[in-house]
Order: sequence, then C-alpha cells, then structure tokens
Amino acid sequence: MSETTRSWREDLKVFRERMGGLTEENRAAGKDQRETLKAITEALRAGPRTVPEIAGVTRLPAQKVMWYVMAMKRYGSLAEVGRAGDYLRYGLKEAEP
Amino acid sequence: MAKLKPRYDGMVVGAGIAGMQASLDLAGQGFEVLLVEREPSIGGVMVGLNKVFPTLDCSSCICTPRMAEVAHHERIDLLTYTELQQVRQAESGFHVRLLKKPRYVIEEECIGCGLCERACIPLVPHEHDHGLGARKAIYIPHGNAIPQVAVLDPEHCVFDGNCAKVCPKDCIDFTQLPQEIEVEVGTVIVASGLHLTPMTAKKEYGGGKYVNVMSPLAMERVQSSNGPYGHILRPSDGKLPSSIAYVQCAGSRDKSIGVPYCSRVCCMYALKQAIMVKHERHETQVTIYHMDIRAFGKGYEQFYRRALAEGVRVVKAKVAKISEEPNHDLTLRVELIDEGGRVAEIRHDLVVLSQGLIPGWTAGEVLAAGADEDGFFKIPQVTTRPVNSTADGIFIAGVASGPKDIPDAIVEAGAAAMEAAMYLDQTRAERVGA
Repeated sequence: MSETTRSWREDLKVFRERMGGLTEENRAAGKDQRETLKAITEALRAGPRTVPEIAGVTRLPAQKVMWYVMAMKRYGSLAEVGRAGDYLRYGLKEAEP
Repeated sequence: MAKLKPRYDGMVVGAGIAGMQASLDLAGQGFEVLLVEREPSIGGVMVGLNKVFPTLDCSSCICTPRMAEVAHHERIDLLTYTELQQVRQAESGFHVRLLKKPRYVIEEECIGCGLCERACIPLVPHEHDHGLGARKAIYIPHGNAIPQVAVLDPEHCVFDGNCAKVCPKDCIDFTQLPQEIEVEVGTVIVASGLHLTPMTAKKEYGGGKYVNVMSPLAMERVQSSNGPYGHILRPSDGKLPSSIAYVQCAGSRDKSIGVPYCSRVCCMYALKQAIMVKHERHETQVTIYHMDIRAFGKGYEQFYRRALAEGVRVVKAKVAKISEEPNHDLTLRVELIDEGGRVAEIRHDLVVLSQGLIPGWTAGEVLAAGADEDGFFKIPQVTTRPVNSTADGIFIAGVASGPKDIPDAIVEAGAAAMEAAMYLDQTRAERVGA
C-alpha cells in the first residue's frame, strides 16, 4: 500500500465486496439498535429511571434494556443517577458542547 | 508489528501470565524470545480478573506491569492476533509457521485514541465482558490492552467508513489480509492457558439458558470497577441482588461431562468472589453449595476462614436442578448433606456456576508434544520434570499441562524458562562439538 496514494474509500469498496457486503442480519440488527436506543432515550427524557421502569415504558424486555443501558453508559450518553430500592437509576447526560 | 528476526532462541506460545513470565525469565537470561498470542491483546485470563486470592490484590495491577515489561523488553518480540500453524523439528531447533490475522489497522501507527470506536455505530456483545457489555465493530480490546491498538471485526462492520473518516493517523487499512510468517526457533514453551467447561455442560443447571445463571469469569467482570456494570447487578433487570448462590463442581469432578478431575481453583475463586460481594454490599446473602472445600495453597485455609467470618454461608449440599421463575429469580433444588439429605428448594436472585478448567488449546498435529487423556499436555515425568513435554525441546507452563492457580503457573513458567535455557545451551554445545 502506498501511503500517499491510498484512498480508504476505494479500499472500503473492495473490502465490502470481499466480505460479501452488508448482511441481512447486520441490517436488521442495525435497525433494531436504532429503534431501541431511540425508545430508551425517549423514556429517559422525562427524568432518570431504573431498568424495569424503562422496560415498562418502552415495552421492551428488561434484559434487552439492561444491555443497551450499559452500552449507553459505556459510550457516555447516560449515567447513574442515584438509587430506587434495589435498583440504580439512569439518566441522560447533557450533550457535550 | 515488530520487525521480526529470522531466528529466535525461544518461542513462547500464549501471552497469559505464564507465557509472559516464561518470556521474561528466558529473555532475562540473555536469550532472544518471540512471544505469540492469538488474541489482539496480551494478558490472558488474568487481566480480566477483578482480584486474586488469597491476598485480594487487584489482578490487573499485578498483570499490567508484566504486560508492559514484556512489550518493552529489548529481547522479546511480540506477535499478537497470531495463530500458530505448524512447528516442525528442524536441523537446529524448530521451523515455525504462523498466521497473523488482519486487524485492518496499521499497528505501528495507531495511537489507541479510540476515536474510531466512538464513531463506529454497531454495538456488539463484548467478549472481554463475556457478552454483558458492549463494544463496537472496531474497538480497542479493553482499557488495559497491550498493544493499545484498535481491531476491526469485519463480521459486524456496516462498511460506512466512519472509522476511517475520524482516524487522526489515517491508519485504518481495509486492504490487510492474513499474513503468513515463518521463523526458526531453538526451543518452544507452550503456555496456552485455559477455557472453562461449557455453561451448557450440565443441562439441569440452565447455564446458557437462564439469564441470571452466570459464569465465574463473567462475575469477575461484573465485580470489576472497569467491568460492564460498575456494580454487582444481575443481567436480567439490573437489580442489586440480595441473594447469590455459587454451585461448586459445576464442571469438575464429574465423569458425566468428561471432566473427572478437580479444577483446583474453583473453591478459592468462589470464596474470593463471595468476599467481594460482601465488601460491596454486606447485606447481600452469599451461599456456596459444595461437596467439600479444597483450600490447599499457602494462606488458602485462612482465606476460607475469613470468608466464613465475613458472613459467607458455606453449605455442604448437592444441587440437583435449577429452575427459573417468571421474574428470572432462580430456584435451586438441593440435597442438604449436613441435614441428613433433606431436600429443599431455595430461591436466589443470581447463581454462579463454578465451572471447571479445560485446555485453552489442543495442539493436534501443530506440534509434536502429546496430550493426556484429559486433553492437557502430557508430562511424562510429572514428579521430577514437571514442565517437560513428550517432545525434546518443547516445554509446558501454566494451565496448559493441567489446572493450577496463578502462583503455581508463575513458578512453572520460571521452571520452563530454565529448562529451555538448559536445552539451548546443551544443543548449542552439541553443535559446536559436532
């Protein structure tokens, strides 16, 4: 690979073809991820909630909400905000300027 | 990737704690070492643990300085994300074929800034957190990873190029292919580590089926401050569990699953995790259901006593079955040995199956060292030469030859390095004399 002439966009096209393109499974997973993140974010706009509370509002399984809440925490879009009984509450973080 | 030499005095296979120690001990004697690791980071199982027993020292605080020492040692070259393909006896040692897997990132240029990971969209269950946490399709393996270099998982890539758009070093390289590497080495130390028995090995316990039945390595991550949750929570709904059960020998001392031996570390890691639960939230009840507690090492019996003193319940019982309640609580059907065999049904929020240790790698035809019936490397003279394999010039360290704890793995690594050094001196003397 030549460092000066390399175009990652062209390389990406070749890579995509070599890997067989975007699979139906990944396309569906992407759609589900977008919808789930949107639903959890909407549920938290009213204020911090526990995982079961988010699950109740969004009608998503609590296990799925748990996984996405932890993913959102890891990547900085929400944070722990105190406790409610045996559960922690999570709230949206302010977007960084 | 380090610029490789055509020949090394020794090659160490596996960069967990035993492999790293063997490399340091061999390089410390003046030999040139090639350390090969199949994962994108060195550190093995130990770097994912929360604490070590019986001292309760932070595991990564012990492991990461060794990782850094290995990475910066002038006589150790490191190959990560690389599989061993073939080791053949050659005229003066061994001819080795390796396959370096593509990271799709230029290793020498990546600065580990993580911008690619932040820009990447797909969320994927993170192997380092046993699926409980998320990573992206391109990711830094974990916070303590060495090298701190991103790796792209093409299976989950959505080909949007976001990683390349934000990379400040322009080091995303979609053209990378698997790379065959051939080197000559004088001797080989195998430190290929461990896997745990499958969660599904004992169907009656519901591992892999019930969300709150966990593996002990997943529990290590849950207990780690840098783990997926940051607290001890249960995966089904994030509840702070008020009652946790450990089921001992859930993958050892059991002919029915092909693991008749004792895995030696399960009693101690269960006691350690139980103590850590108590330290985080003392009101949580922790019960360890066991056949007998095996606390064989230095300070281990005292550690067991400490667990009892800190309120861990240790119950001699056989767990016949685990069933899941509608709210994902778990009911254990147990035979209480100390109560004349009374059968009871006891409910817990979370259950950890103390899985046993099995070999992390089976050599097959890749190299000449033979295996025992249990799958671990065979040691023909186990009492007098405990690190010598069935093949001349190939030495075994750590769990590759059988279950053992970290101190024993480190001792064996030192012994393997010494045997390898003696073998190198001997073969060199024979060549000079010939």
